[in-house]
Amino acid sequence: MIDLQAETPEKTEKIKSDLLTVNMGPQHPATHGVLRVEIKTDSEIVAEATPYLGYLHRCMEKHSENLDYRGVIPFVDRMDYLGSMSMEWGYALTIEKMLGTEVPRRAEYIRTIVGELQRVASHLMFFGTYAIDLGAFSPFLYAFQDREDILRIFEELSGARLLYNYIWIGGVWNDINDDQLRRIAKFCDTMEENLKKYHTLVGGNAIFIGRTANVGVISEEMAYRYGATGPVLRGSGIDWDLRKKRPYGLYEELDFDVIVGKGEKGQVGDCWDRYQVRVLEMFESIKIIRQCLDGIEEGPIIGKVPKIIKVPAGEIYMRTECPRGELGYHLISDGGKTPYRLKVKSSCFTHVSMLGEMAPGQMIADFVASIGSIDIVLGEVDR
Amino acid sequence: MHKEIVEFLNAQVPGCEATLVEAEVGDSTIFIQPSHIKAASLALRDSEKFQMNVLQVITGCDYEDRIEVSYILASFIFNTELILKVKLPKTDKDATVQIDSIVEVWTAADFQERECYDMIGVVFDGHPDFRRILCPEDWKGYPLRKDYVVEEVYNGMVVNPENKMNHEDHYFYKKIQEEQEDPKKVTFSWKD
Amino acid sequence: MNAKDLSTLAPLREEEPLTFGKWLKNIWTAARTVTKGMGITFKYVYGVKPVTIEYPEVREELPANSRSRLFNDVDNCISCMQCANACPVDCIYITAVRRDKDAPKIKTDGGTAIKLDLKQYTIDTALCCYCGLCTAACPTECITHTTDYEFSQYTVTEMKYDYLAPDIRAWKHRIVDK
Repeated sequence: MIDLQAETPEKTEKIKSDLLTVNMGPQHPATHGVLRVEIKTDSEIVAEATPYLGYLHRCMEKHSENLDYRGVIPFVDRMDYLGSMSMEWGYALTIEKMLGTEVPRRAEYIRTIVGELQRVASHLMFFGTYAIDLGAFSPFLYAFQDREDILRIFEELSGARLLYNYIWIGGVWNDINDDQLRRIAKFCDTMEENLKKYHTLVGGNAIFIGRTANVGVISEEMAYRYGATGPVLRGSGIDWDLRKKRPYGLYEELDFDVIVGKGEKGQVGDCWDRYQVRVLEMFESIKIIRQCLDGIEEGPIIGKVPKIIKVPAGEIYMRTECPRGELGYHLISDGGKTPYRLKVKSSCFTHVSMLGEMAPGQMIADFVASIGSIDIVLGEVDR
Repeated sequence: MHKEIVEFLNAQVPGCEATLVEAEVGDSTIFIQPSHIKAASLALRDSEKFQMNVLQVITGCDYEDRIEVSYILASFIFNTELILKVKLPKTDKDATVQIDSIVEVWTAADFQERECYDMIGVVFDGHPDFRRILCPEDWKGYPLRKDYVVEEVYNGMVVNPENKMNHEDHYFYKKIQEEQEDPKKVTFSWKD
Repeated sequence: MNAKDLSTLAPLREEEPLTFGKWLKNIWTAARTVTKGMGITFKYVYGVKPVTIEYPEVREELPANSRSRLFNDVDNCISCMQCANACPVDCIYITAVRRDKDAPKIKTDGGTAIKLDLKQYTIDTALCCYCGLCTAACPTECITHTTDYEFSQYTVTEMKYDYLAPDIRAWKHRIVDK
């Protein structure tokens, strides 16, 4: 209490304050969707943060029990809407493994090209939105201009810009012609030059480094305990990439490196490391796309799949490496035309649970940087 | 690998009665008794031979007489995967079933168990912050059960309002059937 | 609600005391970082052509296989119900009556015999998710995606398209006969 009778400043006591509960509400430009975080703070330092989910919950797992196996693919698109090709690829691999269908070589090449282009598009989106969360306005539009080129190629291939329904069970829907392949090759060249510029512009900027180095550190033990995957795990210094450890598709024949965070600007596992892992992964994706463009073969684009798909009884858990982490599909089938139980394990759901432990002790501005660095999309968190 | 894990569990955790279900199509699974799930998880996590250091998913599946909860573990050190299942018999149609929580073994179980409770109705004893996660706090019912019927009115809002249901288009065929002499000649696409 | 002891809340990053040397170093870092960044962004001020398409004076042409508004050519439809079965959101409503044996025989453009009279073919465009599964399932290819992307209406009931109505049948000239 302030002592109003005091004459000198030494006699006044300090003002005691209580913790303030602030809602970083469902509508917020920096939470990348409808995520609500309740922060208890003393107005700058966060004492406790609890995430509240469910604002975008559409119960896709219950819907899929009434749809036939081909009809689930548009629903699966809409979960991680910024990386739809990877979601469809994971689902198609799950069903193909149960059925035992063989995917033709040309379809595998097209799937790899499209999957890696989707990874570049998703990481460009992360790059642009992370920079604008921290206040840098220019990189946002640069990233989106490059992403437009990718989306235009996807629109010509599949017919839609964001929710493709392109990778089907057994192969892909439409074929790709030589003109489109040439444009993808040209895009790879321009993208590589632009990426070097963008990495110097944002990653080398002293303000950006000041805001992201040593912030939101995820140690190796914490990453394993929470089940983190993808760039979040690799940013903590752990060499784990499903494309190398459990290869699917063509990844065994392709040559690329796994980017691991080394703590160049601060500690290992801070926000700058996760940012660097994602930007350098884009260079590796371009390397993979160039190898596929050189080696693409002629042939059919879809394998032999029965007209009405009936998956034999049993269960399977299949995981693939999506831009945001590991996506897992746990399918329990009873031999009918519709899935009995389809569970989707999304990496963003597990990453959001880490916010509660990363937050105490950070300032609110650091907390915004931490949320941006784990790169969540609420469609995948809530399904 | 599955046979070794079954022998290891039966030796380390007496009473868990681990059994292996081999599958020709898909993945093989291991069933254990629900009362020993925490001891089995600790044994698998701390063993030198298996080192299952990551819990990926906890899911539930609703059958007629029981609920099966699956724990999908992985070892990021040896690059292996395991599906561990428990069977929880259902006593009543709408009753919840109970099992111990494994949040102290892996913190990833925190959100996964909350989602399993929200969707299927499995209560985890000993969970630090037990409430619904995806549905609102005052929602009734467990959506992913097979006999779930959504409630008509929620907090004063009608869940399926009449004016958005397209009933005239769905049942247009009934009008055509009345006009025709032989109603079997009418084919229609709407399935109830 | 428990108020945590605020004296234990300290920021994770320690503040180092500011010396004169450090102050000068900060100015040099700031100047260098700003010139490096502005050197890249300044080229975008005059060196890049604007890519804005000035809608509505200039309208963008979508690629030929874009999945926008659906069109069904009901003269060629054999009422097989495959599109309604394939639709994941159940937005296609079809009713058909089998033709009598002594009615005149009609055929589609491709030569398939039409055995059912179509009485109702309605698509609720507001429910449609534009996935294209119905166009893939159609055996006569009478239902197709067009490239019309300007079809907003004022009320939701106007989004239900009755493809047997004469004003929608007239689109056939624009879309199919090319």
